[in-house]
Amino acid sequence: MRKKIVVPGELVSEERKKVGSHVFVENGKIYSDVLGLVYSDSQDASVVALHGKYVPQREDLIIGIVVQETFGGYIVDINSFYYSFISKEFIRDRLQRGAIISAKILSVNEINEAELGQVRVFYGGEIINISSVKIPRVIGKNASMMEALKAGTGANIMVGRNGRIWAKGGNTQLLAEAIKKIETESHLSNLTSKIESFLKEKNNKA
Amino acid sequence: MTKKEEKKEYVKNGKRLDGRGLEELRPLKIEAGVLSRAEGSCYLEWGQNKIVAAVYGPREALPKHIQNPYKALVNYQYRMATFSVSDRKSPKPGRREIEISKVSGEALEKAIFLERFPNTTIGVFVEILDSNAGTRVAALTAASVALADAGIPMRDMVSAVGVGKAGGEIILDLNKDEEDASDAVDIPIAILPRTEEIVLLQMDGLLTPEEWKKALKLGLKGCKQVYEVQKEALRKKYLEAEKEEAEPNVEATTQGEGE
Amino acid sequence: MASDIVLDLRADKVIEAIRQGKRLDGRKFDEYREIKIIKNISKNANGSARVLFGETDVIAGVKMVPGDPFPDTPKEGSISVGAEFLPLASPLFEYGPPGKEEMELARVIDRGIRESKCLDFEKLCIKEGEKVWVVFIDLYTMNDDGNLFDAFSIAALSALLETKIPKLEDEYKIVKGEFSGKLHLARKPLLCTTTKIAGHLISDACFAEEKAMEARFSVATTEDGYMAAYQKGGSGSFSPKEIDDCIDLAFAEAKEMRKQL
Repeated sequence: MRKKIVVPGELVSEERKKVGSHVFVENGKIYSDVLGLVYSDSQDASVVALHGKYVPQREDLIIGIVVQETFGGYIVDINSFYYSFISKEFIRDRLQRGAIISAKILSVNEINEAELGQVRVFYGGEIINISSVKIPRVIGKNASMMEALKAGTGANIMVGRNGRIWAKGGNTQLLAEAIKKIETESHLSNLTSKIESFLKEKNNKA
Repeated sequence: MTKKEEKKEYVKNGKRLDGRGLEELRPLKIEAGVLSRAEGSCYLEWGQNKIVAAVYGPREALPKHIQNPYKALVNYQYRMATFSVSDRKSPKPGRREIEISKVSGEALEKAIFLERFPNTTIGVFVEILDSNAGTRVAALTAASVALADAGIPMRDMVSAVGVGKAGGEIILDLNKDEEDASDAVDIPIAILPRTEEIVLLQMDGLLTPEEWKKALKLGLKGCKQVYEVQKEALRKKYLEAEKEEAEPNVEATTQGEGE
Repeated sequence: MASDIVLDLRADKVIEAIRQGKRLDGRKFDEYREIKIIKNISKNANGSARVLFGETDVIAGVKMVPGDPFPDTPKEGSISVGAEFLPLASPLFEYGPPGKEEMELARVIDRGIRESKCLDFEKLCIKEGEKVWVVFIDLYTMNDDGNLFDAFSIAALSALLETKIPKLEDEYKIVKGEFSGKLHLARKPLLCTTTKIAGHLISDACFAEEKAMEARFSVATTEDGYMAAYQKGGSGSFSPKEIDDCIDLAFAEAKEMRKQL
């Protein structure tokens, strides 16, 4: 199977199939709604976007940054259309502007506002950004990429679905480079082994 | 224009003054993803026209009273740099730029799945750096590529072209000389190429219904040519992806561990 | 809604790195990003250039227009510099009347060109007391990754060096597409900006570094050893010694940059 790049409005399949992400049906035919790669077999048709803003989904684990403290809670930037709110009931410590948290999205309303729960506070560490559509590649099959990144950099890593990666300890500079590489080469095959040898090479030099 | 210019021949032996055939576009070059801070961007050269387009959003529409709870707003801004025209233009936007911005934004609204992003605004900013007739269709063509580059969900691309009349002939993609003909008619057209729905159409000049039929046919043909260049530009950015063998769709099975 | 909060976090990292003698992108403190100059990007301009400092991307265009002289300088032409931060360039920019940053930038670029006397205003006179050339230099941002001052300065100079003087016919009308010659520049003034972060002086600050800066100091220098304009900005301060260091850096860096013109 060859991966085909489609632009918005381009035909994905003329046959009846189960429709997945980023496709729509018009007059019985299936079209892409974004610039992306087609995944189509005898039963399913979907398109994986090559770029795009993070749209909150229920159950997603995200990484947020505290923007402001209010009377009852905190306003948190989740790298999407709106800020989210966390009630102080969920958090023991007092948080400052710039504090990093992780949370699960409990629900999303009709205007894409997310309700957060299962909040965890991080101390220290830093944030590395990547396009949110590339996050599955940072995790990899059975978290293989994550394991490679952890092993190659010695950093503690937490991946948020919203295009943010929290990292602490180890060689975060190298981690940022590796993630940049994943971002630019995310559409290539055997990415995990490519990243593994990239990290190895860098570590040998050092 | 002066009287003696009326005799000027705009088409001779099937060739125009700049050597093009009647149904030939000026050279069109499109590059997607040229600005790092924008969510999507495009640089376009179309004859002498040079254009940069950038997309920001969808982001929360502010102030709040402009928000629409059912769909996203499109904030399209067409601007010309002061030095992009033969006489220096005032830096303030004129009535022409404001009108073009309005109808072009409306053309894009039909293409974008606006209902998926209520209360937000999508900023589409286009700057004309150099011009020689047909900038509004060139701008819209660039904007559509920038929107696709930004990953904004759309029903289709928007492809646009100018068509019209000079020296009694119906021609595609008029340049400035042709637009200055005494009988010139200028018709900017934009369509959704898949369905041929017309999303922008303007005209000024004197035209018969027969001439319009011919012009429309030529315009649709031109838009399709533009569409091919747009598609090529977007694909080029990710060319290697098509060459490689596919991997099964990678879905995250586990999340990372914290400390 | 690109939130400032992410930039704030970056700013902390910038300061942390600088304290350890490093920059986030691995540059030395006095190292500029790669500079690219693309000339004549607009045929309708009398002179134009696009300049890239890494990912910072700006455009300058020059238009010469016959105008009325000022009553007190009847035989002198003039220049007019405008700067516009296009919303293409950053999620933080919006259209509107020029803001104070745009005004400051335009005025600092203006002073560097005007005071260096690189343009002989008397040679821009068309007819004494009646018509003179006004040289409009308009600057636009395409992508803002910091140090717009220096990028604009080199873009303006590059555009001026390319500028052709329009030919005039009766009643001071411009003949389209015809020129009477090239604009003569007696000097090549260039602005170099030094940014102070965590007590250290660094050159060519990128956007994240600007977020972390205490203060900046810009110096316009000429190739024959003069300085034509200063501008200190930001809420921090410089010691006299630091100012001297900034000036030395500005001369050295402008010299390098001139090789690329």
